[in-house]
Order: sequence, then C-alpha cells, then structure tokens
Amino acid sequence: MIQVESLTKLYGDFTAVNELSFSLQPGEVMGLVGPNGAGKTTTLRCLAGIIPPTRGTVKICGHDLASAAIEAKRQLAFFTDEPRLFDYLTVWQHLNFVARIYQVANFEPVGRTLLEELELADKGDKLPGELSRGMKQKLAIACGLLHSPRVMYFDEPLTGLDPMGIRRMKDSILKRARDGAVIIISSHLLHLVEEICSRILILKNGRKVIDGTIAEIAQRYSREPGDANLEEVFFRATDEPPRLP
Amino acid sequence: MIAALFYLQFHSVKNRLTMRFKRLKQPKYLFGALVGGLYFYWYVFRVLLGPHRHVNGDSPITTTSPADALFYESIAALVFFVFIVLAWVLPHKRAALAFTEAEVAFLFPAPVTRRTLIHFKLMRSQMAILFTVLFLTLVSGRFGTNGHWFIRAAGWWVILFTLNLHKLGASFSVTMLMDRGISTWKRRIAVLLPVVALLAFVLLWVGREFPKLTADDLTNPETIKAYAQQAFASGPLPYLLFPFQLVIRPYLTHDWLAFLAALVPALLVMLLHYLWVIRSDVAFEEASVEASQKLAEKLAAVRAGNWRTAGKKLKQKRAPFRLHPTGPAFMALFWKNLINAGNAFTARIWISVTVFVVVLSLSLHGFGSASSWPLVVGMGALMFAAWSLLVGPQVVRQDFRHDLQQMDMLKVFPLPGWQVALGEILAPAAILTAIQWLLIIVAVVCLAPLAKGKFSPGLVLVLGLGAALVAPMFNLITLVIPNAAVLLFPAWFQTGKDAPHGIEATGQRLIFALGQFLAFILALVPVAAVFTGFFFGVKFLAGVTLAVTVATAAAALGLAVEAGLGVLLLGWLFQRFDISGEPAA
Repeated sequence: MIQVESLTKLYGDFTAVNELSFSLQPGEVMGLVGPNGAGKTTTLRCLAGIIPPTRGTVKICGHDLASAAIEAKRQLAFFTDEPRLFDYLTVWQHLNFVARIYQVANFEPVGRTLLEELELADKGDKLPGELSRGMKQKLAIACGLLHSPRVMYFDEPLTGLDPMGIRRMKDSILKRARDGAVIIISSHLLHLVEEICSRILILKNGRKVIDGTIAEIAQRYSREPGDANLEEVFFRATDEPPRLP
Repeated sequence: MIAALFYLQFHSVKNRLTMRFKRLKQPKYLFGALVGGLYFYWYVFRVLLGPHRHVNGDSPITTTSPADALFYESIAALVFFVFIVLAWVLPHKRAALAFTEAEVAFLFPAPVTRRTLIHFKLMRSQMAILFTVLFLTLVSGRFGTNGHWFIRAAGWWVILFTLNLHKLGASFSVTMLMDRGISTWKRRIAVLLPVVALLAFVLLWVGREFPKLTADDLTNPETIKAYAQQAFASGPLPYLLFPFQLVIRPYLTHDWLAFLAALVPALLVMLLHYLWVIRSDVAFEEASVEASQKLAEKLAAVRAGNWRTAGKKLKQKRAPFRLHPTGPAFMALFWKNLINAGNAFTARIWISVTVFVVVLSLSLHGFGSASSWPLVVGMGALMFAAWSLLVGPQVVRQDFRHDLQQMDMLKVFPLPGWQVALGEILAPAAILTAIQWLLIIVAVVCLAPLAKGKFSPGLVLVLGLGAALVAPMFNLITLVIPNAAVLLFPAWFQTGKDAPHGIEATGQRLIFALGQFLAFILALVPVAAVFTGFFFGVKFLAGVTLAVTVATAAAALGLAVEAGLGVLLLGWLFQRFDISGEPAA
C-alpha cells in the first residue's frame, strides 16, 4: 500500500533523508524512530506530499505521489505533532471545510460520530482558541479521519492528550490497522511504538539503520536471547551512549 | 545579580543583531537591506548625517525670543502634566511589569529581589526609550530643525525616562491604594477634583486679570499666542508648571551651556522619581504573570500575521453561505477565507447596503440642479474604485498571505494546484469586487442624470456596466501578483519568529511594491490594445455606445484569459512550492 524507493531529500549540501526504501502492506503499523535530527519529520513530510523529495519515488495505494498526487493524497491523512487549525473556523466549520475538500457527501453523521468518540460533541461551535491543547489535537484528528483515509501518518500522536485520550488514540490506531489501513507513527515514546507497532524503522542521520518486525530487530541486536527491548535496540542500533545505572 | 540580568539583556540584543547580519548572506535579504538602507538614509538619516541638517546654513543653532521660549516650554510642560494626571487616573488594575514568558519562567522563581526585577525592567525599557528617542529626534529634526541633534536626543531621553519612571511609580502607588481598600473611582475623584479646582482657579484668574478675547481675536493665532504668553508668564501658572518645565527644559535649550544648566535640575527630578520607584514595595508578580501571558498571546498573533486579532479575543463568525460537502473543492477555500474576512461579507448585508447606498445617492439629486454634490460624490466614488484596484490587494489579504503558516495543511489536500490557487484568491477578489460594484453603482446613479451631449445617460450606464464587468478580472490579476510573490519568495512574507524585520524588510516591501506596479502595467498593456482596437473599429461603424460595449466585452475576455493564466501560474507555483527550502536565519 505504501512503496518508498530511494527517497532522498537534500537541503543544499545537507542530506536530511538518504536513499530510504521500504514498503508496507495493509494492516501494518510502522514505528519510525530515531534520535533528534534523524530525518523522521522530513520523511513523513515527503511521504505526505508536503515537500517534494530530491530523488526517489513514493507510491500510495499504487498512485505515484509525484505524478498522480491527487489520487494519492485522497487516500492519506497526516497528523502533525502541533495541530494545524484555522483560528477563525469553529470545530464544526473545520469538519464542513474538510468534507468539501475531500468530497465526503455524508460528513454530518460521520463528523458527529467522530466528535462524540473524541469527546468534542459539545464543542461544535467553539473556535480553536477556546479549546485546550489536547482538544485541538483531537479536532485535528477528527478532520484527518473524516474521509476514512487508508494511509495515515502520525508525528508524535500523543502530544497533549490526557490519559483517556492516549488510550483512545492507541485503540483507534489499532482498530484502523485491523480494518486494513496502513499507519506510520513517528515518535520518541519507544514504549508506545513497542506497544502498537508491528514494524520498526530506525533512522539515523537520514539513513535507515534497520527495518523489520520488533521480533526481528530485537533478535538482531540481542547479545543474549531476550535481553533487548526496543529501548536497548534503539541505543545499540544508533550507537547512543548506554543508560546510566 | 544585576550583572546576570545585564548579561541577559546584552546578549539578547547582541544575538538578535548577529542573526540579522547573518541573514544578509542570503542575497534576497542583502538586496532588501541595501534598498531599505538607501530609503532610510535618504528620508531619515540624511537629516542627521548630511549637510542639510541645519536649516539656517551657517549656524547649527537657532534662537527664539525669551517670550516664545517660555511659551513653548509652558505648552510642553502642560502636555507633560496631562500625561502625569493620566498616569494616576487611567490605571484600574494592579501594577504589572511586562516581562516575557521566558523572563517570568527564569526570574520569578529565582532568588531575585523585587528591586532587582525593577532595575532589570528599567534597564530593558531603555531599548524602547532609545528607539523612541531616535525616532522623535529624526521627526523633530526633519520638521523643526533648529539645533544640535544630540541636545534634542538627550532632551527626549530625559522626558521619556522621567515619564516612564512616573508611570511606574504611579502604578505602584495605585496598587498600594487598592490594597488599602481605596477604589478606582474614589482615587480618580481624589486626583481629578484638585486638578479641576486648579484649572478653575487659573481660568478665573486669567478672566479677572486679562481683557476678554473678542470673536476677532479668536480667529487670529498670533493674538491667541500673545494672550497665552501673558498667562504663562504671570500669575499662578509659572508656579504650577515649574516642576514639569524642569523636565522639558533640556530639550528646548539651544546651546551646550544652557543644556547642561537645564540638565542638572531635570536629572534631580529624575533621581527623585527613581528613588520613589525603587523604594516602593509592591507585589507586582501575580499581575505581571498575567500581563506576560497576554503579551505572549499578542506577540503570537502578530507573528502569525493576525494583526487584527492581536490582543483581541476572536469571536465566532457566521458562514457567508452554506457549504455543501460535494461540488468544486476550491469553494471550500473561498468559504473559509470569507469567514476569515468577517461577518460583513454575506449576501444579505451587501444587498441591504446596496439598496441603502442607491437611495442615498438618488437623494443627492434632491438638492436641486445647482447642487454639485452628485458630481463630487460620483467622481469621488469612481476615483476610490480606481484606487482600490491598486491598493485593495494590499489591504484585503485573506489568501496565501494569510495561509502561509498553514501551507503544510494545504499541501496535503488532494487538489490540483490551480484549484488551491483559485480558492485562495477568490475571497479577496470577491470582497474587492463587491466594494467596487457598490462604488460603480454610486457613480452611475450620481453621474447618469448629469450626463449631457456625447456623454448620454445611456453611455454612462454602459460605461458603468463595462467597469463592473472588468472589475472582478482586474482583481484576480492584481491578486495573482502578491500571491505569486508569496510562493516565490516566502521568506519575504514569513510571519513567524523568523520573519524579516527592520531595514531589510522595508527594502523588500519597496522592491515588491514596485514589482507589483510594473506587473500590473504589463498585464494592462495587451488588454488596453484590445480595447482600443475594438473601440475605434466599432465606433467607425456603429457609434460610441456600441463601441464601448463591444470593446469592454473584448477587454473583459482578454482580462479573463489573463486571470485564468494567472491562476494556472499560481497553481503551478503552489505545486512547486517547497517551504522547507527556505533556510531559517
């Protein structure tokens, strides 16, 4: 459902993403992890068509993101760590706006259900400025889910959410994966990644260090069987200094 | 401790300046800085640095008569007195020193005394005061050049810093009064009663001592001035204004000796203020935290490009029309941007306004045939409509310029570039068109009944309809230009914390304004040729009215093609747009 071939992004002489290739099948949830500056957000932005890659191809549901951008973008949703909202549109107006953009004919019942799920049902006429950080995040999520995307990218999805919101978010991600969606999650919260992702891709300095299922990469970085959880794998794979005792 | 705060202030300023200079490595900033620098030199700094800074040529100093000097000094002291009174009357909240959120986070929990915080605040206020001093020195130098610029600058500094200290001291005292249960209104009455009593006393004295001014006297500024000079020079006023004159006097001196002599008492007044402020022990922390949050919100709004909303609470706005979930997707952007424009842009309001304006315009003809009101209003409406074509796109900006911060979101939408471009510029185009149509209606209603000879009422109507036809196309074209500039040079329009400021930003705006004007003229040339060709061709065969109709229709078609090409170009630029390619400073 997602095919990435030799994705490269250069900023002048600086290589933000270097020859990245991977593919994901329906139902897979991939954790994109790496130290700060590894190129995770740049990768996600390239995969969402926000910034053009310098080289390489990205295919979403068989549509090339460069040559068939509209068809490809129709299938995806990108959830940024900082919710991007229009400060002059109310919660419901956001949904109405997104519905027209994605041509969601039955947006009203879908939108109401989403708002109820995300505990925003009574906030329909509120402006983003009247919402808390977590509620804004939920509104951005509702907007992203309105057109039932088949491919979803989350950049630090739990930022600003309360414990109940975190639980619901995890459940929601897993439910959509079970329904056949492909999900990529970029996060520093390794326990979250370990909990809900079926695959891990570790980036360092824009390069793929390792890509595989948690079991595969744990096996590869284990010194003894079962001694490596994702945190250990991360430090070993990225040569980060070991934890202090 | 104050050394650490000085370190903070010094390095904040130094780093900000360093960042500015580093930016100049990018040609667009360098070019902008050069143009901006030239502009500022020509209009501002030349006054200080160039040979024309002295109006009187040989002498850098001009003198005024003692009576005039006293008059100006008294007027300035009176103004200063008003500011002082306002500092006691206006405040209705506890004293709050405006710190940034970072300063609150670092300094308030730190082992720093209130006195040190006040010192820091005073130190930091110097930047704003010195900038104001520079501005006022330049302004007073340009418009009233009569002396050493340094004396003017130092004079301004004394005035502004003393005023700043007094406002701070007054706010502390007001807080102390509040803590003692004295309400705002009680305090205001306590301040204003003696002021009103003094004013009444002075007016009574003037009325008793001087002959009354006649109606003729009131039309002669010189007589009024002489009268005021007498009042300022005798009786109670010299005593009442004396402390304020002490602060003003250094600014009004004309030589170094007089300046130094005036400076000593002024500094003494300033020192007394400083002691008053520094010895006040008022809890300002809680109110300062609240003020710093408000300041941060205001800054965030300004940095996001929302000047209108800075410091204001956004209110929910009514949608201009019902947006169906299916249909051309660009309409969603149009709808969104109209909501952003405000509640005034609904069809119902515009129809009501149009009816009102037509009735009002028609009523102008009721003043009789000799009245020039219809002509004045009609021509004024036409001129304003023409002016809005060029200036309107700079004022109505609910398009890419407003959505630059949301580019990530726009790029994710499954829309072809031209749809995003059209959706973005439709709202300002519609708003400007509505305004221009209203003005055209006013012009036609006012001017058609006055038309005579070749300019028949029918021809005026045809011209009006023609103008109404081409107006939306003109607006789309003129809006393409600034929006294309946003996509080509996003850093020039950046509204975040990395947005350009100062001289380079001014230079960039000047270059851009010139570029926009040239592009507008270029777009106009082929259409003007089409109009001229059709007009003379048809006029020869079928008369002026039909010629105007056909030529306008042809020109409108030409403009529509240009506007369409412009939208396609804008869409192409949007698709190629890569904000990540813009390095931060």
